[in-house]
Amino acid sequence: MDASLQRFISALRMAEVRISPAETLDAFRAVDRMGMENRQQLKESLALVLPKTAEEKLAFDACFDAFFRFEEFSEAPPDASDGESDEGAPSSEGEGSEGQGGGGDGQPQGQGSESRKSDSPGGDPAGDGPPGDDGADPFGDPGPGPVQDAQSALGQQLQQGDRAALALAVSQAGEAVNVAGIKVFTQKGLYTRRIMDALGQGALQAEIGTLATQADATARRTAAQLSGLREDLRERVRDFVERQFLLHADADGHRLREAMLRHVKLSNVEHRNFSHLKRLVEKMAKRLIAAHSRRRKKMRRGQLHVSRTLRKNLRYDGELIDLAWKARKIDRSKVFAICDVSGSVATYARFMLMFLYSLEAVLPRVRAFAFSSDLGEVTENFQRMAIDDAIATTLADYSGGSTDYGQAFDDFLRVAGSAVNSQSTVIILGDARNNYGNPNTKALREIYDKAQRVIWLNPEPERSWGSGDSEMPRYRASCHQVNVCNALNHLERVISDLLVAVR
Amino acid sequence: MSTAPTPFGSVAEVQAGLESANYICSTQIATAVYLALELDKPILVEGPPGVGKTELAKTTAALLNHPLIRLQCYEGLDEAKALYEWKYAKQLLYIQVLKEQLGDVLAGAKGLQASLERLHEFGDVFFSEDFLEPRPLLKALQEEAGAVLLIDEIDKADQEFESMLLELLSDFQVSIPELGTLRAKGPRPLVFLTSNNTREVSDALKRRCLHLYIPFPEAPLERAIVQARVPEIPPALERELVAFIQALREKDLKKVPAISETIDWARTLLLLNAEQLDSQLVQDTLNVILKFQDDIEALTPELPSLLATARKSA
Repeated sequence: MDASLQRFISALRMAEVRISPAETLDAFRAVDRMGMENRQQLKESLALVLPKTAEEKLAFDACFDAFFRFEEFSEAPPDASDGESDEGAPSSEGEGSEGQGGGGDGQPQGQGSESRKSDSPGGDPAGDGPPGDDGADPFGDPGPGPVQDAQSALGQQLQQGDRAALALAVSQAGEAVNVAGIKVFTQKGLYTRRIMDALGQGALQAEIGTLATQADATARRTAAQLSGLREDLRERVRDFVERQFLLHADADGHRLREAMLRHVKLSNVEHRNFSHLKRLVEKMAKRLIAAHSRRRKKMRRGQLHVSRTLRKNLRYDGELIDLAWKARKIDRSKVFAICDVSGSVATYARFMLMFLYSLEAVLPRVRAFAFSSDLGEVTENFQRMAIDDAIATTLADYSGGSTDYGQAFDDFLRVAGSAVNSQSTVIILGDARNNYGNPNTKALREIYDKAQRVIWLNPEPERSWGSGDSEMPRYRASCHQVNVCNALNHLERVISDLLVAVR
Repeated sequence: MSTAPTPFGSVAEVQAGLESANYICSTQIATAVYLALELDKPILVEGPPGVGKTELAKTTAALLNHPLIRLQCYEGLDEAKALYEWKYAKQLLYIQVLKEQLGDVLAGAKGLQASLERLHEFGDVFFSEDFLEPRPLLKALQEEAGAVLLIDEIDKADQEFESMLLELLSDFQVSIPELGTLRAKGPRPLVFLTSNNTREVSDALKRRCLHLYIPFPEAPLERAIVQARVPEIPPALERELVAFIQALREKDLKKVPAISETIDWARTLLLLNAEQLDSQLVQDTLNVILKFQDDIEALTPELPSLLATARKSA
């Protein structure tokens, strides 16, 4: 049990349920007290110990059902797994029940082999050969009759038809070939074959080969029966691998994609991944909000301001009556985001705006400006519309012209210059490629002097700053902070720093 | 520290016990109480308001025959109100009274240094347990026969308070600088924390607790609850009422009715001698289950169709 609980917990972790080692220990203790016999009780106990949010509970439910369905199939006695297993294996069903009824007599039954032939001739490439035909036809139908005992270990196991034992063997073979390591769905075939091999398919295959070419009808009948059973088994193994894939790899793929999307250059993200990115941005924003809403509370609380209290109470002859507190004024800081939305940088602008406006809870006063040649304020778009629509409208309205930073800074000063003060943070997102126009560093300097901080985010790598028409080195002098920013994790870091700085 | 023998043998016993105390619950809830007692862990109960989170703690206390010690959380709650406080007035009073004694104590001591040393011999008389005013958390630890501690609406308290709880919840001890560490005197108290999720409770706290989510009950459970709480209600009315409430929860409302509202409504209808739901009656008593005027207005035109659905599924 310990091992399967451990595996269950790692499957849960795959499904993004966060479980600490302490909680793992709790789970073991809980199972220890409650026992494994009652499935519902087990589920309810584990649901108390492992998942700790509503979303995690949902993931837990799905995971539990998938995982312990399999466990039942492999570990329960045969009658418990009756409803579960094989849709496409009627003959094995028949044999299984017969095996139970007959007290597990090792002798395979002619009836079983017959039903196999009539039900699924598909596994038999030449099933309709005339009876009594000689060895030339390898799979000639030998007609009903007794079959002989198989020689290979797997063959004997199959003939015995003990499904529980078989399922156990499959799961053990799976462990031996490390099926939990499956990563992508194209590996399913590979793992199916590996498990079949581990089960001893080779020997069985050889036996079927020899039996099928013999003149003896019993031998050929046996060959047909065995190859049918082998098909069943393969079907079942494929099923098993499929389930393992869903448990271990599907979520892993998801995580892989998330990790990839964090680091990939935003301009390289394919359009179909935008929805994933959006979810990712929301997740990152949520974390930042959680981290930073805490800080504000702390700052709001005051401490006794000793010197001021003493001074204030001098008039009462030094008796302390009026207390003065070091109350911290809540910062009315404002964030101005100036985004270059011309073709090359538009994608970055999209995600930065998305990020900034996802942070509304902790960053309530963001004003956004967009430009390619002329600059305009787009804050209202974000107040009126959903983030997606606002971004689309912004891009449609402003992404036309050729980039002119000089003009844009002038426009910004005109539109919002008076609002920029020593509590403002100005974020400029752009590649600083000015088409050899007038860089107008003076205007940027003016913004720099007025604002508390000017942060320039440049999607280009640092070594190409200054090459060609890039004015970055000249603009750099008029910025408090310059960052390369071309992937979500850069963006997250910059904005996290920003949150620390502005509040 | 000793752990009391668990008073229940199984989850079913817990469920039956709660039921006998008129608290009808799912096995999930009973499992939580059972496991909390078995594993000595606090339970963090989450769920929409009015599904019986607080009631669970009260009923469990009654069932275990332990005193219920309740701490209502709010913004700005701090140690002095939750944990302990020094009885300043008593300290001052004692100092006044003892002033006379001081002369005797210091008699014969020469010089400041000697007097100080003499005073030191008496130790921290004024910072002893006699002058300690226990607040709910400390009180729960001091109960010798065990207690049920309910920390209500933990999400309303500040982050700092939450961190302070960590020591209490994992080791059931409290550190008081002047006295050292105080441990639970009797068996560990059973702790319920409730949260309405107005803010995310920290991971550290969640890790130390069993996490129980109480959703709105399914129709059969809700009917059992109404029957238990308002036994006089006619069966036909009770069926319709629960079906109506269940249908109402599917709607987009500012605040959907919870179990407490269902029970209130059942009592109201009983007072009005209603035998069946009809649209005039529902219209007149809608303010019992819906607490926002907007909700009432939005729902009024839909009442007939809602009633029809309720009648059908009842």
